[in-house]
Amino acid sequence: MTAAEDLLSRRRPAPRRFRPPSLPRPSPALAGGLAILAALLVLALVPGLVAPYAPAAFDYRAILKPPSFAHPFGTDNFGRDILSRTVWATRVDLQIALFGTLVPVVFGTLAGAVVGYYGGWVEALFGRVVDAVVTFPFLVLVIAIVAVLGPGLFNLYIAVSVVGWVFYARIVAAGVALQRRLDYAAAARVMGYSTPRIVLRHLLPNAVSAAIVYWMTDMALCILLGSSLGYLGLGAQPPTAEWGVLIADGKNYMNTAWWISIFPGVAIVLAGLGFSLLGDGLADLLRPKR
Amino acid sequence: MLSAGYVLRRVLQMVPTLVFILVVTFVLVRLLPGDPLSAIGGDHVTDAQVAQARAAYGLDQPLFAQFLLYVRRVVTGDLGRSIVVQVPVWSLVGERLPPTMLLSGMAVAIGVGLAVPLAFASALRRGRATDLAIRAGAQVGLSMPVFYIGLVLLTVFSAHLRWFPVGGYGDGWGDRVYHLFLPALTLGVSLAAVLMRSLRAAIVDVLGAEYVDFARAKGLPTRVILLRHVLRNALISTLALLGPTVGSLLGGAVITESVFAIPGVGRLMIESIYGRDYPVIQGLTLSLAVTVSLAFLVTDLIQASLDPRVAR
Amino acid sequence: MTMRPRFRTVLALSTCLGASLAGAAGAGAVTRGGIMTYGRYADSLFLDPVLNDANVDIWILSNLYDTLLLPTDDGKGVQPGLASAYAVAADGKSITLTLRDGIMFSDGSPITAEDVKWSLDRARDPKEGIWNFIDESIGSVDVKDPKTVVLTLKHPDPAIVAGLSVFNNGIMPKKLVEAMPGATLDDKAKAFAEHPVGSGPFAFASWSRGQTMKLVKNQHYWRPGADGKPLPYLDGVTFEVLPDDATRLLKVQSGELDGAEFVPFSRVEELKADPKLDMALFPSTKVAYGTFNVRPKLKSGADNPLANVKVRQALNVAADKDAIIAIVTHGVGTPMSSFMSSATPLHAGTGTEFPADPAKAKALMKEAGFEKGFGFPVLVLAGNVDEIGIATALQQMWADLGVTLEIQQVDNATLTARFREGDFSMRLGYWTDDIADPSEIASYFGYYPNIQAQHSGWNDPAFNTLFEASQQELDPAKRADQYARMQAIYRDGPTLPLYESPYPVVLKKSVHGFLQIPLGNNIFSGASLEK
Repeated sequence: MTAAEDLLSRRRPAPRRFRPPSLPRPSPALAGGLAILAALLVLALVPGLVAPYAPAAFDYRAILKPPSFAHPFGTDNFGRDILSRTVWATRVDLQIALFGTLVPVVFGTLAGAVVGYYGGWVEALFGRVVDAVVTFPFLVLVIAIVAVLGPGLFNLYIAVSVVGWVFYARIVAAGVALQRRLDYAAAARVMGYSTPRIVLRHLLPNAVSAAIVYWMTDMALCILLGSSLGYLGLGAQPPTAEWGVLIADGKNYMNTAWWISIFPGVAIVLAGLGFSLLGDGLADLLRPKR
Repeated sequence: MLSAGYVLRRVLQMVPTLVFILVVTFVLVRLLPGDPLSAIGGDHVTDAQVAQARAAYGLDQPLFAQFLLYVRRVVTGDLGRSIVVQVPVWSLVGERLPPTMLLSGMAVAIGVGLAVPLAFASALRRGRATDLAIRAGAQVGLSMPVFYIGLVLLTVFSAHLRWFPVGGYGDGWGDRVYHLFLPALTLGVSLAAVLMRSLRAAIVDVLGAEYVDFARAKGLPTRVILLRHVLRNALISTLALLGPTVGSLLGGAVITESVFAIPGVGRLMIESIYGRDYPVIQGLTLSLAVTVSLAFLVTDLIQASLDPRVAR
Repeated sequence: MTMRPRFRTVLALSTCLGASLAGAAGAGAVTRGGIMTYGRYADSLFLDPVLNDANVDIWILSNLYDTLLLPTDDGKGVQPGLASAYAVAADGKSITLTLRDGIMFSDGSPITAEDVKWSLDRARDPKEGIWNFIDESIGSVDVKDPKTVVLTLKHPDPAIVAGLSVFNNGIMPKKLVEAMPGATLDDKAKAFAEHPVGSGPFAFASWSRGQTMKLVKNQHYWRPGADGKPLPYLDGVTFEVLPDDATRLLKVQSGELDGAEFVPFSRVEELKADPKLDMALFPSTKVAYGTFNVRPKLKSGADNPLANVKVRQALNVAADKDAIIAIVTHGVGTPMSSFMSSATPLHAGTGTEFPADPAKAKALMKEAGFEKGFGFPVLVLAGNVDEIGIATALQQMWADLGVTLEIQQVDNATLTARFREGDFSMRLGYWTDDIADPSEIASYFGYYPNIQAQHSGWNDPAFNTLFEASQQELDPAKRADQYARMQAIYRDGPTLPLYESPYPVVLKKSVHGFLQIPLGNNIFSGASLEK
């Protein structure tokens, strides 16, 4: 997950002012991604539309039942309906994807713009910060932060944000640095525009596309991190239904009740696919035409 | 070529990073609720016994005094002794780091081995069925929790087909590589998915670059263009990814190590955090930081020798 | 939910398994030789009988260090060990122990009365480790002659005979420990523990931390097996550390291991059906329970509704133990009838403690003035499937009372730190006895001066007085009566008794005679592998 930024920053953005795409033909990737995410968003907003039961409701008479008409995805060891839990989890997981990346995107982009514009010692200092953050074992940091602040999603967001912003900052810094050397930036300086205006209005928009594409991957990775922490008991707390925790719940039943893990697993893959298609679609859209 | 100045500068850059990590780790472990004596003894310990043990380990000293003592020891190469298992930290690191390094190395090999051909196949048939299938496959690989992939692989290839042992580490290097194949595959699959996505994008970019057009115009055969220009440039980009990736592998293989019962640093780290074993957490984080910094250094140097623009 | 009837038969079966150690190991001749491989969920930490503190050490230490007396297979009494006989004086103030002839450490050197005195003196030193409470009554240890050791007691102690069979009183080679490098005795003992030499049926061979520990047969062990030759039958035992439950079981199913501990309850039924495996449920002293903080004010300064005994009783009767046993233990557990397990000596009580009664729960809440309910958090060990299951079930059951239970998974150190500081409302936990006597659990659970009754703040003068009296009561009938009264008083105590559960161990059919006694000790000396 530490990855994509270098490559992305290597792309040569167009030496021109950013123009919002004027209604281009949506690529199949973009359309597919949007469709999947729109469907998930509907499930997150009105889970009752599909979920037949309350996500935490026990049914002692229907423990570990395989998929059936009454329980299309089967039930778990508390007799809870897997379909309902998987659907209700959509809300939690989309929140994780959004709130786990929101601060990194905003703060990282601004920090990256500053670093990229000024360069020099600011850049050197930033380089050391990046080294330190990337060198520190990530999972250790997350576990330590969750242990200090207590388990739960909010503290998970804090932990992820402490590290996550660095990657956006790196991507944006590289982009801004590249733009700064181009003619139109010099022209803007000559015309006497203020520094914030040059950075925000001219440099950033052209450098930010790579960060947006990375954001999509990051959201999927954030959901997956939730499942790793679920395995360790540090993610969403019961009875909250969350895909990663649902998969971890089913681990001991892999041989006898496969349905507990499989359906939430499919949901994660689907959401990941949605984000990644959207990312690819946006990349195509934002990639300079030649 | 690499200048001595560049290498020296890169090595010196490691120092502030390591100092930062040393300080942060020292503070962070002490922010965790409880202390090494909380984890010991459970319900059986009386308050008097806790106070006595705390004094014995110097944990009743002022924090700054503890820090000075720690720094003085580290500078002389002494990482201290584990409070929970009563063994020198150095010997724990020496036992537990090699399995994780071997696992990470194999995972990277598998990841790159899968990612490069798939990225080429996907980029060259951009937008067609092959491309879509490969990208969808990568997405599935990326979205499966590691513990689940691990258990599925173990159930199928170890328990049923008996091709591989069910977890463990083995004796002797050949046996170890054999034991670590499935866990390395588990990590390698998700690594390949990440690498593949980035590589594909890089290849698409390179294919559209002017010098490739130029080479094509010169009439060079496609195979030569792919090997000489596209692969070379794509590999430079991949190397830039690998440094940080090895870092996250070394520290983040906790779950894989648990599922496959590999006695690596990830598990030791988690156990030490849960046990509040301050000397081990500190020593291990520092050793990992040194290892990862060296991995960065090596990939940077290789990259710099391939691409002189980097070594400004 | 009803309990699955199969449980009883397995209980009986595993008791038979246990009996094989002492008597004849079945009708046929016992096979000798072979290395038994055994999967453990976690590695040992530290192999010193006095300074250790965790079950991962305690439960295997008896294979390395013998004690003067040994616990019986049912965990309720003692049998001769390194001492062939013992005699308690009529006034209960001294014990004379006769050492067995020809006993040796695993390196072949003789075990002398000096070693015994040195080991017991170290074990009872209040500055050494956390187990010296077991030997608190010993005033002095004297060597009368090379075969006789006399313990002079400060006061009569009904538990001291059982105490001599506890791991912390394991006999160690004085000369070898003192010859180790190190400035203090602790340093020497720590160095010794990296490669110990002991008096038990097995000798330490090698240890790769987090991976394997190898024990080999102690060629000089004294105890005879069913075939008349000395135990153990096995040439050795190899422990493999497999932290993931699923992987550990897979390794037994694939035939790579001979056995594995800590089978998740959810897998018991499935493994019973496997014709190649023997799913053993060894009777245990293990109890699962919740502890309430009963102090009038919480650490935060807020009023604590759990201080009201009616509220605790309401929560108790609102918790359907049978349902929890069905969901969490998949029918393997049994309801508790006292705060201590029914395998603990002097256990008193019949029927389920606080049987489910939703109407009574509501009435009690009303009496206590909490008919609208309230909310509080429960601390649960992170990632522990059983505790999460219990907490999730309680959350649902108590919701009917208007009680909102917030589940907080925390790691062990956080849990213990907050527990010791009294900074909690409720926690879940489990307990196993380490000694064949009820005094250990009574002291930690109910006797306030020890650790404030499970750090709950529950301080009942009647309980404390009874406990103090029982600690010096040599008349078994009177002591039993004191314990019956303590257990009755404890109904108003600070806990939520949940269930007793056996030790689930899976073994290959070819393994015979392996035993985990109710105290948890893994006994490999009577184990054998069919060829």
